[in-house]
Amino acid sequence: MKTRPPGRALRIIVGLATVMGLAACGSPAAGGPAAGTATPPKDGGAITFLIDSLGDTWIPNNSAISSFQGHIWGHLTDKLVYVDDKGAVSPWVAEKWEQNATATEFTLHLRQGVTFSDKTPLDAAAVVANLDIWSKGDPTRGINPIGLFPKTYDHSQAVDTTTVKVFFKAPTLGFIPTLGYHGSILISPKTIALPSAQQADLSNDIGSGPFVLASWKEGDSVVLKKRPDYNWGPKALGHEGPARLDSITYKLVAEPSVRTSAVQSGQADVAYNPSPQELASFKSQGFTTATPRYLGFVNGFAINTKVAPFDDVKVRQALQHGIDRKEIISTVYTEDWLPAQSLFQSNVPGATDRSADFAYDADKANRLLDEAGWVKGADGVRAKDGKRLEFTLYANPYLAASKSVDELVAQQLGKLGFKTTIQAFDVVTYGERVKINSPSVAAYEVTRSFIDAGTVAGVLTDANKGENWFGLGQTDAKLVQLATGVAAADSVEKRAPLLDELQGHVLQQGYFVPLTQIVQRLYLQSPKLQGVTYNGIAYANYYAAWLG
Amino acid sequence: MKYALRRVLQAVVVVLLAYVFTFVVISVLPGDPVTNTLRNPQNGFSEEEIQRIVAYYGLDRPVHEQLWQSLSRFVVGDLGVSLRSGLPVSRLISEVLSSTLVLAASALGVALVLAFAIGFGTQYLPKRYGQGLLRAFPSLFLSVPNFVIGLLLINVFAFQLGLFRVIDSEGGLATLFAAIALGIPVSARIAEVLVANLDHESAEEYASVARSRGLGRTGLLLRHLLKPSSLPVVTVVALAVGELLGGAVITEQIFGRTGIGSLVERSVTTQDLPVLQAVVTLAAIVFVGVNLIADLVYPLLDPRVRLGESRSRPKVEVAA
Repeated sequence: MKTRPPGRALRIIVGLATVMGLAACGSPAAGGPAAGTATPPKDGGAITFLIDSLGDTWIPNNSAISSFQGHIWGHLTDKLVYVDDKGAVSPWVAEKWEQNATATEFTLHLRQGVTFSDKTPLDAAAVVANLDIWSKGDPTRGINPIGLFPKTYDHSQAVDTTTVKVFFKAPTLGFIPTLGYHGSILISPKTIALPSAQQADLSNDIGSGPFVLASWKEGDSVVLKKRPDYNWGPKALGHEGPARLDSITYKLVAEPSVRTSAVQSGQADVAYNPSPQELASFKSQGFTTATPRYLGFVNGFAINTKVAPFDDVKVRQALQHGIDRKEIISTVYTEDWLPAQSLFQSNVPGATDRSADFAYDADKANRLLDEAGWVKGADGVRAKDGKRLEFTLYANPYLAASKSVDELVAQQLGKLGFKTTIQAFDVVTYGERVKINSPSVAAYEVTRSFIDAGTVAGVLTDANKGENWFGLGQTDAKLVQLATGVAAADSVEKRAPLLDELQGHVLQQGYFVPLTQIVQRLYLQSPKLQGVTYNGIAYANYYAAWLG
Repeated sequence: MKYALRRVLQAVVVVLLAYVFTFVVISVLPGDPVTNTLRNPQNGFSEEEIQRIVAYYGLDRPVHEQLWQSLSRFVVGDLGVSLRSGLPVSRLISEVLSSTLVLAASALGVALVLAFAIGFGTQYLPKRYGQGLLRAFPSLFLSVPNFVIGLLLINVFAFQLGLFRVIDSEGGLATLFAAIALGIPVSARIAEVLVANLDHESAEEYASVARSRGLGRTGLLLRHLLKPSSLPVVTVVALAVGELLGGAVITEQIFGRTGIGSLVERSVTTQDLPVLQAVVTLAAIVFVGVNLIADLVYPLLDPRVRLGESRSRPKVEVAA
């Protein structure tokens, strides 16, 4: 039998494989970005948004604040008010509102003609049903309340078809901004009345938003299509009538490099959560990147004042001044991250620049530790009365770069004489072992969004079932006074100076140690996609967007 | 018949044990999907609120009560409701099963084609023209993780050449490339066994006699060597089912496919016990079924093999 030497064919195959392998190392060739010039708005087109998860359940109350499902809810549903990325509140389904002098009663005036996608009216009765389910949930049906909805809510009533009166047990200045929170999505009363197993099927969840559900597959994709009769979008977005885009497809692609390469190659329009370190490279290639900041706390440590060594104010202050935040940004993050100016993100209304209260000053930190009696040993670790200056940092599994930040902080504190151990757990173990204000947790890494700074009064002490983040109970009279004043304020003007003083007190006492302003939602986007807006919770909104 | 009945009874016991074992293993771990979600500090739930919701799902009841309830449902065919999504488990599985079956079957096809190509190649090619390279392929395939193969295939064929779109993950070409990524490591195990057996059979006396009578390589391979060399391949293929199901977890993630693998991944990370119990049980059924089929196929490939009538496992009889 005659056999043909395979040398040539083999060489061709090997050569082809090599070329492909090398090509694969480069950036995708097809579909490079168009010139980054703005084009006038136009109707039509479909976009694909690649997302790293589609969350868990679709029961509206249980999923509305999901970092993933929040994107879809934001297009399927409306809210009563719109809160922009600077915390400014403007009308949406509620055209206007009033409050009484003590901020315990509010009257909402609804826009006429708003309907859910099943054509039932979004009227006062529907709003009352939503307020009740946000506030209380329904544990008998496995429906959660919205965690950050004001706990002071008492009841609400429909005065007529477009007027709702809402009553609170105590002053609740944050009520109106909270209506723009991502949990506060308006759902049809018919959906709210369904058993949770049926609400978990997204097809049964009826909203009034600019898009309606076209199809969905659990854990795979959600396809939305434009609602042609939609005409009640927030004026703040500068667009009226139906959405410009015909459809949005949210497709789960778990692998980050596949998401970003798909946008680079023109196969998709948006990739959610690209690696922060790659943003500069994408920008240089002409792609749009967005790193909106949500309204809420900055990333930082809530210090447990009951636990040594942080039961000493000087040690807390040394920690406060011993962390070089600029180095964290330059080492772990990029220029898209901003240094913290307070315990709140700087775009929160009422946040003031208190940078001086926690400015990096290693000499001051060393001096404070010396004054507190902590003496450096031969190994560089300080000790007092036979006890070493040590504590554990638990990396927050909900924040991608948390462990890297903690490692850098441990390194910085090591120079001052702290011995910092870092523990990293998965979400499950973290939830079980690392609890705020627990005796074993000296510093708890916080990330939490909120719409109104007034809600912070509920975490600082244990008054009114507060979360008592710092383990102080009500022992710090000044903090209790300030927190109570902030919670009870009936106007923003009266609250502002109290809020400023509160921030100063918390920072000067070293109760909260800020790290950086937080960017939890990152976007890589085709330059063809224009007119995208980001709300106060940093979700991208495509109602007014178009494809150029 | 008696043998088949005994195997079916064994299968029922294995499936029930798998169901109970999964429950016990997951139950001893701390946490559950409900509290894991509620304890996310972003949610701001009080411990009292969390306990109320946990009670609704019955997760506060003693483990043996939960197990009894779960088993009672299972024996009447009710797989329960996913704690993560709130959807019936049977619905979740039925939505994704076909995708994984198509992927696994395609991957098995790819693995068999590659393995037999390597096996035949080693018999055809002269040593100096690449036979050594072919013999190295199984080791190479085994040493490269399938996620690396998957990413390379996506980068080259989807993003560089534009042959398929990652967002159309269930499309024909996307499925083919996912099957290649999943099938390559599996092909290595089959090829290793096939090559070793072809070499062994090729050195047998009957092969030398056939060659001396002027039978060509193809004739010898197809008429004499292939059948006896394929018998161990059946065993390896049966075992490879597990590898295909395990590999599907990674491959489906990389290719953005929604199948049993991605369902398992989501359920493991959230400790979704009802889904995990159902999937492990399904895997046990598939395993038992495939091994039963393999046992039944042996006699067809080699008449010397007989299924034992009096033992609990198939007896392999080799004629003197």
